Amino acid sequence: MLNVLFIEDDAIETMKLNRTVSKLQLKHKITEAKNGEEALAFLRSDEVLPDIILLDLNMPKMSGIEFLGILKEDPILKYLPTIVLTTSENRADLLECYRIGIAGYVIKPLKYEDYEIKMASVFTYWECNELVKA
Amino acid sequence: MENKEIVLLKKALERQKKARKQAENILEKKSKELYDTLIQLKEANRILENLLDDESSQMGNVFVNMVDPYIVMDLKGKMIKMNTAAEEFLGYTIEDDILLSDLVHPEYKEYSKNSFSALYATGVIKRFRPRIFTKEKGLKYIEINGSIIKDSSGKSIAAQGVLRDITYESEMKSLLDLQRKRLNIIVENSPLGILLTVKGELIKSNKTIQEMLGYSEDELMVLQTQDFISLESLKASQELRDEMYAGNIHHFSLNKKYLRKNGTFFSAKTTVNAVHNNKGLLEYEVALIEDITNELELEEEKIQLVKDLESSNKGLQEYAHIVSHDLKSPLRSISALTTWMYEDYKDKLDDNGVFNLKMMQEKVESMDKLIDGILKYSTIKSDNLDNSSVDVNEVVKEITDIIYIPDHVRVVAVNTLPTIFADRTKIHQLIQNFLSNAVVHIEQKNGLVEVGCVERPKYWEFSIKDNGVGIPKEYHEKIFKIFQSIGNKERSTGIGLSIVKKIIDLYEGKVWLESEIGKGTTFFFTLKKQK
Repeated sequence: MLNVLFIEDDAIETMKLNRTVSKLQLKHKITEAKNGEEALAFLRSDEVLPDIILLDLNMPKMSGIEFLGILKEDPILKYLPTIVLTTSENRADLLECYRIGIAGYVIKPLKYEDYEIKMASVFTYWECNELVKA
Repeated sequence: MENKEIVLLKKALERQKKARKQAENILEKKSKELYDTLIQLKEANRILENLLDDESSQMGNVFVNMVDPYIVMDLKGKMIKMNTAAEEFLGYTIEDDILLSDLVHPEYKEYSKNSFSALYATGVIKRFRPRIFTKEKGLKYIEINGSIIKDSSGKSIAAQGVLRDITYESEMKSLLDLQRKRLNIIVENSPLGILLTVKGELIKSNKTIQEMLGYSEDELMVLQTQDFISLESLKASQELRDEMYAGNIHHFSLNKKYLRKNGTFFSAKTTVNAVHNNKGLLEYEVALIEDITNELELEEEKIQLVKDLESSNKGLQEYAHIVSHDLKSPLRSISALTTWMYEDYKDKLDDNGVFNLKMMQEKVESMDKLIDGILKYSTIKSDNLDNSSVDVNEVVKEITDIIYIPDHVRVVAVNTLPTIFADRTKIHQLIQNFLSNAVVHIEQKNGLVEVGCVERPKYWEFSIKDNGVGIPKEYHEKIFKIFQSIGNKERSTGIGLSIVKKIIDLYEGKVWLESEIGKGTTFFFTLKKQK
């Protein structure tokens, strides 16, 4: 079971993830954050740190890339594997994310069915990984 | 006896007297003869002396044997003696009885006369330069140096002179003068400023540099270089000049800053060339100065423009990405919601509802593709066109399968379309834009869109004809500008025709249209055949 921090401003995207998790009967714990600031507040609270972060890039106020930058500057938080989940196929974004440091870059497909398949793979993959664990 | 004796004596005396008289007469006669002889001898001597004088003036020198023509004239100017060289040069001998003045060119007669008057007055003639007609060699330019010959009594009897042919010399001189004049014309009319310096001292400047600097020639001559060249430029050129003086380089070029008389500066490209004398020493420095203030300004402007363009291009690409993201996100939501609608309510939906949901999915998909296409297009430049053989018939088929075509509209190809060498995606985008525009603007019952192509020597000329509403003349240019939609249909994005224009530009083609309100529109476009 993964402890997942899901940073996403779009309500339907959140619904998509939750629906996917429940439909696939996955036991992962999903913590939702509506933007970068909220996510940082959570990470810096007394809550247990997540195993992985799923990060949207295009968000109001603090963008995903800005959040990523702050995260990787933090001596502890920088160890959190962060997977970018975005519709942006902008190569400049992709390069910048890998430069700062990410654990994956997943493009949101158009069709929900494809989304399910992709997310299932992402979760399966991370279940196979040894995680830092706080 | 005495008387007889006296008579005898008297007779003898008489005889003696006679004899003496006779002797005296003889003596007188003889001494007259002697005197005459003496006079004759004296005269002879004098003539001899004169002759000797003449000989000495004529022969004493080496004139006879010299290479230069030598002549002796009497006081009337008649040639009385010529050496071989003179005979050869003039083509006459003294037997021809010629006067020097006969040979002189009419224009030089007056000059000649004056010169000879001077000769008679002073006894010498120097650098007398007439033009004369020689017998065989034509008109020659000569120089005569000569003097008056006097007899022993100091009376002028003749004039002698040495001729020198200066025709070549004078031709050279006039040629040189001409060349100097021409050179000056070039120098003075050169668009480049020219400065000639010797050991750093200015010795010549042309009009151009005088005008550039605002100094007159005289003002410039008394200036030091630091008075009109900035110190930093002088420093910069000093090193190069040292190299030049050391013989390591023969010229150098650099941009110098010049100071005008009015205190303002200008930048000029300055090329300095070393001119060496025949001993190989650097004698002159020639500086060619080209005012490049405008060029520098233009260059800077250009750099700035390119920068601006780059940043605006980059901005535009960023913009395209953001817009596409913002468009694609809601599409994803719609797609998800549609799927869920089906998943959650499939039991409650009738066939029509299921079909509509499926249609919704399809339209969302094609819109997503369109957004992708636009995004890709906006990031693609002419240098990464992916050209291959493209069957336009297939492309039209694909498009008619994808796009929304109202039921009353038919899309037909009026002839078999060609297979062209181009970027498939671009051609697809191109024709799709024309077709989707055409099909939605038809209000007639039987809508017809006809695609055709005519082959031209260097181009393919395509046409897309519809029987739609037509486009007012005033929009014919406007519609190719980005986001200019003139339709009132929801499908008009206003981006289509600007994309069309851009793709056609990539293939060095043209696009134009003919339209009649209420009857229809025909778009024409050409694509250059690729090699």
